Amino acid sequence: MTSELSPAAADYLLAFADDEHMIGARHTAWIGMGPFLEEDLAFCSIAQDELGHAVALYEFLTDDVDRFALLRKPQEYRSCAFAELECGDWVDALVRHWLYDRAEQLRWEALSGSANQSISEVAVRAEREESFHRAHAESFMSRISASNDTSSISKLSEAIVRLLPVAQGIWQPSDREEEAIREGFATASSASMAQSWNSMIQEDLLRWGLDIDVSSSTGALGSRTERSQGFERLLASLQEVINIDPATAW
Amino acid sequence: MRTYEVFLKRAGKEEFRHAGALDAPDDDMARLLARESYVRRGEGSLMWLVARANIVEGDSDFLEPNFDKPHRHNDGSNIAARRKRQRSAASADTEPSA
Repeated sequence: MTSELSPAAADYLLAFADDEHMIGARHTAWIGMGPFLEEDLAFCSIAQDELGHAVALYEFLTDDVDRFALLRKPQEYRSCAFAELECGDWVDALVRHWLYDRAEQLRWEALSGSANQSISEVAVRAEREESFHRAHAESFMSRISASNDTSSISKLSEAIVRLLPVAQGIWQPSDREEEAIREGFATASSASMAQSWNSMIQEDLLRWGLDIDVSSSTGALGSRTERSQGFERLLASLQEVINIDPATAW
Repeated sequence: MRTYEVFLKRAGKEEFRHAGALDAPDDDMARLLARESYVRRGEGSLMWLVARANIVEGDSDFLEPNFDKPHRHNDGSNIAARRKRQRSAASADTEPSA
């Protein structure tokens, strides 16, 4: 399957695949730590879905998903800082879940129109799962916003304002995105998706009655070739098991 | 938080079966969380969620059978015993006398 993709298309997919891998890995950190048992299960099953998406994308890029996913050098990953970020507080994890999954929706929708039939099928399947992820994020965001608990609401708003600029980094395009679009593999530029994303996020905030102006939030896109702080520790923890015996077939 | 009882029905003729329970703040979230907690692997194609508070319950005191009314417990053993007696009596009649 790997030979089907042009270098530009592979580059494009790698950025998305690594984002999915890192967000899935970061979400799984909440196993056993969620605010209540049912939410613990739900959030971790969302994490598993994201890891599943990463695997589905990696399969376009390599024949050995485990080694490719886990044993590259840090500078070979193409994830954005937002996906790599460690969220030590539940409300941060929730806000990221909402912001990231809104972006993921646009990215899958764009791929579902790809000229590449195989990736388009994966995208349609993944987007169906994402509709449940969004409903999950929406349930929490809307309920916290509508509650009488002003300290929770201000904590939520504070997290949104703090994370919005970092989230913009999702829209840092892969190096050869234009080429991937010309080939018909990708169907929307990161810049145009960023615009749609901004208005989606703003509509969500209005619906929840949160007075935050998305357009005033400016963040640098960041780089996909440089890893964020804390990445090496994350990667080391992801490698713990495979490093016990890298040659074993799992 | 409210506690909900979860019932699942597989496609086909099988009836709804009790799958477990969960806590959720309201109906919509209960549905969402039940999906992730109980139906990750296609365990059902239909789901009922019932708030436990809405269940009409009969407790074990209420359901204790009336053991002083043996006529309500006709499990057929009396008839079976009588027939057995009749059969053995009949076979004794036909046995050739020694």
